Amino acid sequence: MRVVLAEDLTLLREGLVRLLRDNDFEVVAAVSDGDALVRAVVEHEPDIAVVDIRLPPDFRDEGLRAALAARERVPKTAILVVSQYVEHAYAAELLADRGGGVGYLLKDRIMHVGEFVDAVRRVAAGGTALDPEVVAQLFARRREDGPLERLTPREREVLALMAEGRSNAGIAEALVLSVGAVEKHVQSILGKLDLLQSAGDHRRVLAVLAYLQQ
Amino acid sequence: MASPRWRDARKRATLSRQRMATPIDSAPEGFLSEKPPSGPRSTSQERGLAVHAWATALNAAALILIWAASGAGDFWPIWAILPTAFALAIHAWVRLLHRRPEIWQRPHVNFALAVEAGVWLSLLLFNIGIWAAAGGGSFWPVWPAIAFGLGIVIHASVIFFTDPTTQQMSERIDVLTSTRAGAVDAQEEKLRRIERDLHDGAQARLVALGMSLGMAEQKLDDAEPGKARELLSEARAGAEQALRELRDLARGIHPPVLADRGLEAAVRSLADLSPMQVSVAMDLGARPAAAVESAAYFVSAEGLANAAKHACAEHVQIRATRRGTILHLEIIDDGIGGADADGRGLRGLRSRVEALDGSFRVLSPAGGPTSLTVELPCG
Repeated sequence: MRVVLAEDLTLLREGLVRLLRDNDFEVVAAVSDGDALVRAVVEHEPDIAVVDIRLPPDFRDEGLRAALAARERVPKTAILVVSQYVEHAYAAELLADRGGGVGYLLKDRIMHVGEFVDAVRRVAAGGTALDPEVVAQLFARRREDGPLERLTPREREVLALMAEGRSNAGIAEALVLSVGAVEKHVQSILGKLDLLQSAGDHRRVLAVLAYLQQ
Repeated sequence: MASPRWRDARKRATLSRQRMATPIDSAPEGFLSEKPPSGPRSTSQERGLAVHAWATALNAAALILIWAASGAGDFWPIWAILPTAFALAIHAWVRLLHRRPEIWQRPHVNFALAVEAGVWLSLLLFNIGIWAAAGGGSFWPVWPAIAFGLGIVIHASVIFFTDPTTQQMSERIDVLTSTRAGAVDAQEEKLRRIERDLHDGAQARLVALGMSLGMAEQKLDDAEPGKARELLSEARAGAEQALRELRDLARGIHPPVLADRGLEAAVRSLADLSPMQVSVAMDLGARPAAAVESAAYFVSAEGLANAAKHACAEHVQIRATRRGTILHLEIIDDGIGGADADGRGLRGLRSRVEALDGSFRVLSPAGGPTSLTVELPCG
């Protein structure tokens, strides 16, 4: 799997390169600003670009903008944005851009190497990876008297993992449940929230997020 | 900290700023004048003038009727009409000065001087009226006109030579000195708090993390991989906690979304995460300066936090508009009120706003609602 990496802090860039190479990714370019990212993506057409949201020269959200610009030119490249902080509005922008192949994670998650590598693979394969913090922000927006209150605590856990972009198998593993049990919870949640059963994990994520963002 | 002197300076600051920004609504704060009443009462005052004018006219008409009915001899009603007209003229002039402050808001003039000039002219006309009604003769009204006129000239020269600009500048210096001291205090307090948070939080966690890693190294040397593994996950948990604390700290200093997307996006983000129902309406046009955005953001954040924590509010409205070169921000909740305007949080915000030459008002009667109103120059 071929990766382009954009991170301006040398320490983190080298660390990430090492971590990805150790896990059998081919890092074809590691750059430190937005323009270089766009050039590298156009040149290498990688499976995924892992991008720090804050890059020179202004250290605002150049990484996000550059990643969206790069994908405009090379639509097959998936984007995983990593950041020291998350803002649910940015997640909405990333997801609105196109179906699938997007991720938005706190840099903290990189420490859980196994989960982080899973997320990179999932996004590169056209899936979604949303940080639990973003999902928590979206849950916080919902009023107390809404339909979310009708979910059992277990169903809320499942819903949060669905919103993060995990598959049923991934949810089952995270909650130590059988896949069958997870499927039952999912059906029950979709019923209680009036959401249609949609094919594909990514469309399911979009439906759940659209619901949470209402 | 709000000593009387401080409060005074603050009041002066608000007055002089108002004058700079909206000359129509304000009065001078010069030493020879006092602030004439203005604002919502002006319509009832307008009505008062109309009643006065009608009463004067009816009185005159009645007297003339009586005079005509009683044989229309010597025109005696003039002796009643002249003084009532004199009173009406002064009343109308003072009203006019209220409505059109531009008449007297100019260099070396103030409200009192303008009133005096009107009284002088009315008195002159009144005296000429009496002189004419009494059959003319030697033109004596010139003497009171000269005497009163001399008084006005003295008044005007006092205003001219004491130079109100110097006066205003010294007031301005007072205001700047005190707001700067407030801002420096607030800044100092904030830096101390950040230092404490870093010392007790992230730094301590990094020390613990280093110790866990060192011990894990030992366990590996001792060939106890199970123990080493335990220590390593402890270290990772410590690193995550340190990151979380640093993130919260950074957000408290300057939230990233504010720098990235500006005031409206940042305040909406706050509103989204609030347990209350928060409506945000902003119409700002171009982005104001970073310091202004940041002050407005922290006022909104504090207002929301107070509304949730102390006021038990359910709904909050945050409105921001730009009026000319002034950013006007208002945060209104439906809580129980009783906020302490001199509490630490609001005091710090006030200093922050005043350091930018802004004004900060808290209205929070017991029983609510609470409103925070902030005006920040953003030319």
